[in-house]
Amino acid sequence: MDLTPDSIIVFTVGGVRVNATIVYTWLVMAVLTGGAWLMTRNLRPDVPPNRWRTLLEVIVQAIEGQIAEIAEGPARHVLYFSGTLFLFILTSNVLSVVPGFRAPTGSLSTTAGLALAVLVAVPIFGIGSRGLTGYLRTYVQPSWIMLPFNIIGEISRGLSLAIRLYGNIMSGAVIAAILLGVAPLFFPVLMSMLSLLTGVIQAYIFAVLATVYIASATADPTRTATKGEKSS
Amino acid sequence: MSIDWVTVAAQIGNFLILVWLLKRFLYRPILDGIDAREAEITARMGEAQRIGDAAEAEKAAFAKRLAVLESERSDVLDTGRAEAQDLREKMIRETRAQLAAEREVFARDRKAQAERYATALEKSGAEALLALTRRALMELADETFEERLVIHAGRQIDASRQELLEAASVAKEIVVTTRDSLSDALRSTLTDQIAERLPGVALRFASDPAQSPGLVLRIGGVRVGWTVDTYVEELAAMVEDQITEKSHKKAVNDVR
Repeated sequence: MDLTPDSIIVFTVGGVRVNATIVYTWLVMAVLTGGAWLMTRNLRPDVPPNRWRTLLEVIVQAIEGQIAEIAEGPARHVLYFSGTLFLFILTSNVLSVVPGFRAPTGSLSTTAGLALAVLVAVPIFGIGSRGLTGYLRTYVQPSWIMLPFNIIGEISRGLSLAIRLYGNIMSGAVIAAILLGVAPLFFPVLMSMLSLLTGVIQAYIFAVLATVYIASATADPTRTATKGEKSS
Repeated sequence: MSIDWVTVAAQIGNFLILVWLLKRFLYRPILDGIDAREAEITARMGEAQRIGDAAEAEKAAFAKRLAVLESERSDVLDTGRAEAQDLREKMIRETRAQLAAEREVFARDRKAQAERYATALEKSGAEALLALTRRALMELADETFEERLVIHAGRQIDASRQELLEAASVAKEIVVTTRDSLSDALRSTLTDQIAERLPGVALRFASDPAQSPGLVLRIGGVRVGWTVDTYVEELAAMVEDQITEKSHKKAVNDVR
């Protein structure tokens, strides 16, 4: 049994081996993009919203509301990033109940890639919000001594993001596969339902943590201090 | 558990592409639609607010205009009432004046009618009295009214002789007027009586059909007459006295 879909080579193009992780990722991307295109292709301001458009509006506004609760200020760019993270992970995890589908999030390469994306996005959003000097100054807060610890903390939270998602999804798939061999009917169904719930929760956790990291990097220190004084 | 860095790089790329794709096909259309709808709602709310403000202003203007109209209506009503009152009083005055005029005309007509009636009554009374007197004289004394009248004239001249003499000294002519012409015998008798009592005065006889039966003697401004009218007037005065006395007694009894 392959623990990761990385080892499954689907096809090779010009010497580059395209594994199942990438293929299933493309599949998830196609589902998301195709679904969004189908639902929004006839979207015009003068046309009353139909049920699909209403569903999308509910989803997008729910994500935006969650981000607005965490991050201060304009949240549109964070929405594009964190919302895509949530929708991608959620779709990948939900599609894992489809027989034959291997969730890309069950690959450490995918979760590592997403964690790296978050690791890169956090300083980009931070610099965009505070400027380069302002952002770099956060690494030496409250003193220069904290610089290595802050760097280690930055890397470790990326690692924890990647490992947590990978471990949860991969373990769910592996446990379901094992139970399928032991008790072919009841327990796999139960575990699939559990992994579905776990997948939804993990998608939420990954996206919320990414938003928290971005929010902490973009937060105005003076406003944070003021809020802290008020709360105290 | 291993990491394929090529796959990592591919997944980062895939993720970034997915971010762009979802931004293009999901977030933008949905958020633009929401923004457009919010803008439309805001515009509609603003329009509703504007219409509401305009309606409030219109309401206030209408209330103001209504108050003015109410005030004008009150003034018009007061003016109308005053004019109606004036007109009513004017009509009452005119009606009263007209009524008074009609009463006056009616009273005048009634008075004239009464006078005509009294005249007619006097005339008929005089005729009746004359006829009765003639008949009584003829049946009881075998005399005519004119003979008795001439005899009576002689006595009456005696009663007013002094006054007639004074008048005769100025006028020098006595005119004797009767309704019907006297006979020559009566004229002669009367001429003798007057010549005896008023000597030197010329005598002239005249007749007047409009005069009451009797004899009227005029010297200058003095007039002495004995006509039936005189008696009729006395009779009317007596009747009136009787009526007045009876009315007085009746009123006294009513009061009691």
